[in-house]
Amino acid sequence: MPATIWLIPLLPLAGALVNLFFGKRLGRYAGWLASATVGLAFAISLGAFFALIRLPEEGRELTATAYEWITSGSFHVAIEILIDPLSMTMLLVVTGVGFLIHVYSNGYMKGDPRFGRFFAYMNLFVFFMLVLVMADNYVLMYVGWEGVGLCSYLLIGFWFEKKAASHAAKKAFIVTRIGDTLMLIGLALMVFQFGSLAFGDVLTVAGVSGVSEGTMTVIAVLLFCGAIGKSAQLPLHVWLPDAMEGPTPVSALIHAATMVTAGVYLVVRSHALFSPTAMTVVAVIGLASALYGALASVGQDDIKRALAYSTMSQLGYMFFAAGLGAYSLAIALLVVHAFYKSLMFLGSGSVMHGLGGHETDMRVMGGLRKLMPATGGMFVIGAWALSGLPPMSGFFAKDPIISYANGTGHVLMWILAIAAAFFSALYISRILFLTFFGAYRGDKHPHESPKVMLIPMGVLAVGAAFGGLLTLSINGAIEHFLEPATGALHEAGEGLPEPLLIAISIVVALAGVATAWLIWGSGRVDWVALRERNLPTHEMLAHGFYVDDAYANLLVPTLLAGSRFLSSGIDSGLVDGAVNGLGRLTERTGGLMRHLQTGIVRTYALAILVGVAALLLILEVMR
Amino acid sequence: MTTPIGYYLVLSGILFSIGTVGVLVRRNALVIFMSIELQLNAVNLSLIAFSRQLGDLQGQVLAFFSMVVAAAEVVVGLAIIVAIFRRRRTANVDESNLLKG
Repeated sequence: MPATIWLIPLLPLAGALVNLFFGKRLGRYAGWLASATVGLAFAISLGAFFALIRLPEEGRELTATAYEWITSGSFHVAIEILIDPLSMTMLLVVTGVGFLIHVYSNGYMKGDPRFGRFFAYMNLFVFFMLVLVMADNYVLMYVGWEGVGLCSYLLIGFWFEKKAASHAAKKAFIVTRIGDTLMLIGLALMVFQFGSLAFGDVLTVAGVSGVSEGTMTVIAVLLFCGAIGKSAQLPLHVWLPDAMEGPTPVSALIHAATMVTAGVYLVVRSHALFSPTAMTVVAVIGLASALYGALASVGQDDIKRALAYSTMSQLGYMFFAAGLGAYSLAIALLVVHAFYKSLMFLGSGSVMHGLGGHETDMRVMGGLRKLMPATGGMFVIGAWALSGLPPMSGFFAKDPIISYANGTGHVLMWILAIAAAFFSALYISRILFLTFFGAYRGDKHPHESPKVMLIPMGVLAVGAAFGGLLTLSINGAIEHFLEPATGALHEAGEGLPEPLLIAISIVVALAGVATAWLIWGSGRVDWVALRERNLPTHEMLAHGFYVDDAYANLLVPTLLAGSRFLSSGIDSGLVDGAVNGLGRLTERTGGLMRHLQTGIVRTYALAILVGVAALLLILEVMR
Repeated sequence: MTTPIGYYLVLSGILFSIGTVGVLVRRNALVIFMSIELQLNAVNLSLIAFSRQLGDLQGQVLAFFSMVVAAAEVVVGLAIIVAIFRRRRTANVDESNLLKG
């Protein structure tokens, strides 16, 4: 087995290379080749999964080392992969969901002039994502981390002829870069403190190494900054809504199911490093993002932007869970979220496809349930799952987190999480009702999408519907499976009784759905007029509380002014000035001294004579 | 009865000074050249005087070397002077000031 697990990342890499060089010649087979490599990787991952669960529970991990990459004194970095229950879960999500989205893309991207290149990038993304989750040390993980950032950039800007797309790509890259840089500083600090970056070295000694808690907190928070950038949490979330300029399968794969969850993976993987203070930071930022995303989503007219804010909100829930110490719950939500959110993104892609390709404005949709019954039906399942109503998967993944929050005794956090749950149900129902219910408001002729797109969505719908089974059984199948990596889920403590908590969650979610139905679904409220009456509120939500505008108008000019000062003031003035000044000084001195050079040899001879005489005189005096 | 070394050295110093002044004040390249020869031979004289005084042949050997080198130098120097003269129609060294700063 250890040798074959190398094939999991290498197959998509091979696919990427083939498609990069021969994509044009392969024509439409490029897509099938790309899908096949990811599908095979999924099959091998499944094989690895069965090999893994046959191992005894302690020591349940597969490792394989290729070679020593960096050796410097006592510091080693190896190209080594580690498959433990945590990375196994991520592997199955990345390859499984990735495979379905690749298949879907065959239909969605049909006829695109850069068809082959699209699949080359997608395969490359899968490769880097697999490197990220399979790495056995932070250095290799960072390689994957930056690699997925690159692929995200390439794919957001895939239709780079559109100015908005190329700008969004740059924005995504630069904003995540801020987090990445902080994370790199954290890694450097880690080398300094622990002398190693291998998971096995750092995470096992984290508690007993004698590194002070303050230092640990700094390292953990710096790592979390990387996660904030990658997972679009406050305050580095601004790139995610704009990233929706990319093709929709990209949004589904990278900006819903896999890359943005890398931050959650990082936090869960490194949880041994997180001190109570750092955990609080994670929980607070997660909860704030959950609430913020849910509210901002209500104000969006663009179906993909609404879903993007929803992703941010759901990721916030995952960080919230991780911050409370419920790591396995965070990963469980990650898995089912990958199902239902990529399902809904693919659904929105199907809608766009049905409306001719690029229509994302929900104001000119409506009633598509009848015109696109399959897409509509599956979107209902996705929305149902996200709203947190049983029996769909979202309920079984999100409700335990909220209950757990209640048990930890942070009442305010619990109330805010409930509030976010209300708005989650509200925004997702709003999207559903505006798009699929009521009467069609547009002037196009919607048609159902081809089977190649519907079948992957069907599989994801099954996952979204029954994914909850993963968290059922005695103490949660997936939680139990993750225990070797995340530690057992310790009891949260005494809170409200479980049935009451479940009842509250269901009532809140139902209230959200009902409110959305009343406003956008029933037809009894003129929501356009309602919006006009509350225009300031709507504008605030639509602009995501003006965070982006604040950055553009306050932060960016300040930074630009600072950079200009450094560039023209310090660099051109001081640094260049010193160098040029030295040059000028030499030139002027030379100009003065050149008059001594008469060109008459006898003058020189006289100077030599005088010099020798003076020297002799001095020597004589000195003696 | 030997002549004391002081006389030789004084003569050598006088010759050397004449040579130096010649180099510094004359403009004709040939005369400068002769002055240089004068300086060289002044030094040769002092070398030989010391050699005799110390009873050591090395000084005399060095004087021979110096004469050989001087002869060689005269060949090259005269050749240069002739070349300059052909080109500029003058042996006045002050007019050859192309290296002026």
